Amino acid sequence: MIWVSSRWKILLMVAPALIVFTGFVIYPVVYSLGFSFTKFQGFGAPEWIGFDNYAALAVDPFFWQALQNTIVILVVSLAILIPASFGLALLLRRRIAGGGTLRALVFGPAIIAPILVGLIWVFILDPKIGLLNRVLGFFGAAPVQWIGGDTLTPYAVSLVFIWSSIGFAMTIFYAGLQLLPSDVMEASAIDGATGWQQLRHITVPMMRETFAIVTILMITNVFKIFELVFMLTGGGPVHRSETLVSYMYFVTFTNQQYGYGMALAVIITVLGAVVSAGYLVVSRGRKQPA
Amino acid sequence: MPLSPHRHPLRRIAVGTIATAAAILALAGCSAAGASGDGKTEITLSMQNPDVESADPATWAIVEAFEEANPDITVTVSGEAVSEHLQKLSIAAQSDTLPDIFWVYKSTAEDMQEAGKLLDLAPVLDELGLTDAFPESTVANFSNGDVIYGVPYQGLLTGLWYNSKILSDNGLEVPVTFDDLLHVAETLSVKGITTISNGANQSSFSVWSFLVDLDRFGYEEKIDGILDGSVKYDNPDFLRLYEHIAELRDAGAFASNVSTQTYQQAVDQFTSGNAAMLDAGVWASSAIQDSAIAPDAGFWTGPQFDDGVGEQNIVMNVASAPFAVSAKVAGDEQKLEAVKKFLDFYYGDEAQQILVDNGQPPVTTYEPVVDAQAQSALKAALDASTADGVTSPQSQPDLLVSTPVANAMYDSIYGVIQNQLTPKQALELVQKALDAE
Amino acid sequence: MSAQLMDTGLEPISEIALAGAPAQLPRRRRGRTAAIVVGVAAYLVTFLIVLPILWIVLLSFQPSGNILSNPFSFDHLTFDNYVRAITSLPLLQMYGNTILIAVVSVTVGTAISFMAAFALTRMIFRRRRTQSALRFYLLAGLAVPVYILLFPVYRLDLALGIFGTYAALILPYVAVSIPFNTLLLTGFLREFPGEIEEAAIIDGAGLWRLCTSVVLPLMRPVIATILIFNVVYVFNEFPFASILINDPSMVTVSLAVSRFQGQYTVDYGGMMASATLVLLPQLVIYAIFQRHVIAGMTVGAVKG
Repeated sequence: MIWVSSRWKILLMVAPALIVFTGFVIYPVVYSLGFSFTKFQGFGAPEWIGFDNYAALAVDPFFWQALQNTIVILVVSLAILIPASFGLALLLRRRIAGGGTLRALVFGPAIIAPILVGLIWVFILDPKIGLLNRVLGFFGAAPVQWIGGDTLTPYAVSLVFIWSSIGFAMTIFYAGLQLLPSDVMEASAIDGATGWQQLRHITVPMMRETFAIVTILMITNVFKIFELVFMLTGGGPVHRSETLVSYMYFVTFTNQQYGYGMALAVIITVLGAVVSAGYLVVSRGRKQPA
Repeated sequence: MPLSPHRHPLRRIAVGTIATAAAILALAGCSAAGASGDGKTEITLSMQNPDVESADPATWAIVEAFEEANPDITVTVSGEAVSEHLQKLSIAAQSDTLPDIFWVYKSTAEDMQEAGKLLDLAPVLDELGLTDAFPESTVANFSNGDVIYGVPYQGLLTGLWYNSKILSDNGLEVPVTFDDLLHVAETLSVKGITTISNGANQSSFSVWSFLVDLDRFGYEEKIDGILDGSVKYDNPDFLRLYEHIAELRDAGAFASNVSTQTYQQAVDQFTSGNAAMLDAGVWASSAIQDSAIAPDAGFWTGPQFDDGVGEQNIVMNVASAPFAVSAKVAGDEQKLEAVKKFLDFYYGDEAQQILVDNGQPPVTTYEPVVDAQAQSALKAALDASTADGVTSPQSQPDLLVSTPVANAMYDSIYGVIQNQLTPKQALELVQKALDAE
Repeated sequence: MSAQLMDTGLEPISEIALAGAPAQLPRRRRGRTAAIVVGVAAYLVTFLIVLPILWIVLLSFQPSGNILSNPFSFDHLTFDNYVRAITSLPLLQMYGNTILIAVVSVTVGTAISFMAAFALTRMIFRRRRTQSALRFYLLAGLAVPVYILLFPVYRLDLALGIFGTYAALILPYVAVSIPFNTLLLTGFLREFPGEIEEAAIIDGAGLWRLCTSVVLPLMRPVIATILIFNVVYVFNEFPFASILINDPSMVTVSLAVSRFQGQYTVDYGGMMASATLVLLPQLVIYAIFQRHVIAGMTVGAVKG
């Protein structure tokens, strides 16, 4: 590859993406980072207050509640979503009449704007007007406060997140499976490996990068969940079901505490990046000995 | 290793990229040259509804009537949902791209005024002879010293709408005191009927009737002290009020899904005959008028408390959020003239009657014509606000504090309604927001 | 390991069974039973996933009042919501704007991401550290919530003089797509062995031919996936669109549903109908796209 790797060629290839990305993502983040050290309402003169916003976050019970909810959603979603979407990709990869249509339908939820996803699920999960409790009631079960109660909302949000992301994750796994060299598969089948053995010892290890891609996307997406909570409960009752981003939205735009909101946004960005990087380090470390 | 030589997707992509980049530049050039050339003066009006025509027919009708009367002026109406509208305004204020006239919350308008973003309307109103057209409290409400930074958009006449049929079917009368209300709640909850319809989801501010109650516990006398720190929000008077809210909750006055239903759903619960009362204001009169319960609908100014503080026979009848005018308008003579004409029209009798025709109370001292039959709901509210002996506070309590404190107030009230906070914790929540100022 | 490398059809017949079926069954019967089980399972799962969407479509035919108070009565189904949605929304204009913005931003975004990803996985940097640092730099964008960007991007658009043009929206869309595209492209390029390219280089291929004739065809399934995801993103993107579009004639479809949400009024019927109107064309586009494009891309890849 050294032939095509002259310095200016590398620069030519990388520069366009770097420039646009730096200009419209990194520069804005740095700009906002500056505001996180100020008391600022969105207009007027920002007042420099150092780390006060961060100190205030540390003692803000709503922030800790939002963090806890986000972690619950993260753990529940990852534990279910990754195996489920991989399984679905394996399932839909097989020869099934109308398989293409099925893949399109499974991808359906991923096409829907998050705000609509939230709206759809209000009409399913609402304790009073929702479809789910009506169905349960039909079988004689007592109504459950899926959303808006004291405890269940983060789990309900996980459920909705899984629903809206499964087609997305499945599609990436599906693309990854497409790239697998089929001769390896055939060879191992001839060797008499059972389906499970083949899956465990060949398919999954060969798709490490794909798993990493999906996991990182899902981690960072969980840290961005906003619209679902906004539509389902508006963060209530009294910020109890808030996620990090929905609470940040409340602080920044509803309360108009722009500086405080940006401090929160910086924390969210750092957390998302650290958790993703942590996952990468752990997963690398595990497979390195091979 | 044969390659397919006739396929060069990347080349196509590269060509496409260059072509589209050129297109972007071309498009940028186009719209920059888009100024209107027909000699008309354009003023922009930015509102808190995405579809003003259907969501705010009163404003829409006034704009149409204005354009007809002033063919040389075009009013470009735009709008977003409240949260996006405020987001857009705060970003625009910082970048000096505010619309000419816009709807905005009072506390935000105050901040914008202090930041020098708003036009002082005092000389304009003087010139137009409008200063005396408004109730005194309205002008005081939107003033900062001698500067007037806002003019009233619509009226904030709030209280509890009630369904007299539900009450009479259950052997109940329209309550007067808090104990009456508690009795209503106890009676109705046994039958599974919601007494007061509220919706906290995405409308945590929808606690208007409880904000009036704060004034029945001495809010007006306390507020200056609360703001300068000499009086605590966490005081025994307010504690009694919050304990009363808890009593209502324990009596089953509120909907079981109050946390997940929106304000719109709360209205629907009332207009479909599933709740005895609705916590709202005069803006709901059209929806009520259009529903089957219209003949049974009445308007109650809210409960009187025997352990309250000060006057109990009060109604919240003040100006709602203001219209503000961008300071930049002053730099454009023609635009300024057009804005003046618009304000003159909006607060003239013709436009005020248009407000009334669309279910809104007038914001000036104009005495409107109300059709007792076709506008029975609006009439009920207007009658209640002008009944003998009833007075109004100067302002709604949440409009006198900063946005974070106002939000904490809503949270505190809903926190008790939703059984998330004890009355004491609710008061502390607001106190904490005040202390952070 | 080059000839059969890409010989993966749309429906590969590789014998990955999900769970080991009973081994003692005769081979053919086992195959047929398994196929039936798999088919039933696939349809069942799909049905469960689609159910909520069907529920919305059903609700969109309910009179607005019924949606909240009586969603389970189906006596008064009506087209009224659709009439309202079609008459009050400039749907054609919205679709036109969205398609224009999507085509430009997705084309540009995918092209420059591919170039960067190629350099970051295949080209040889003097310092390897620089290479992986650059990759992490781009990937870090994944963790950034959009609300941190709104305000600075607005000001940037103003400063660049592009506010009020399509470019005001296209540039941030391109920028935001780069981390995602880079993750997918570099991930798959790393998973994918480089022998073919080395062969091509030995054959004397330059950088341009290497990218366009060798690597790009191999990456078709991934490119297809990226295109789909990016288009979906543009169709659904709300925060930027609501802040950066000032001109009513430039509105995109992602703003359609919010048109029915006022300060004190929400037209749930109109929302459901417009949601359906925005959704169904996208589903059809995806169905066509994934069937023909993914299929064509994989099957038609390098055969040697």
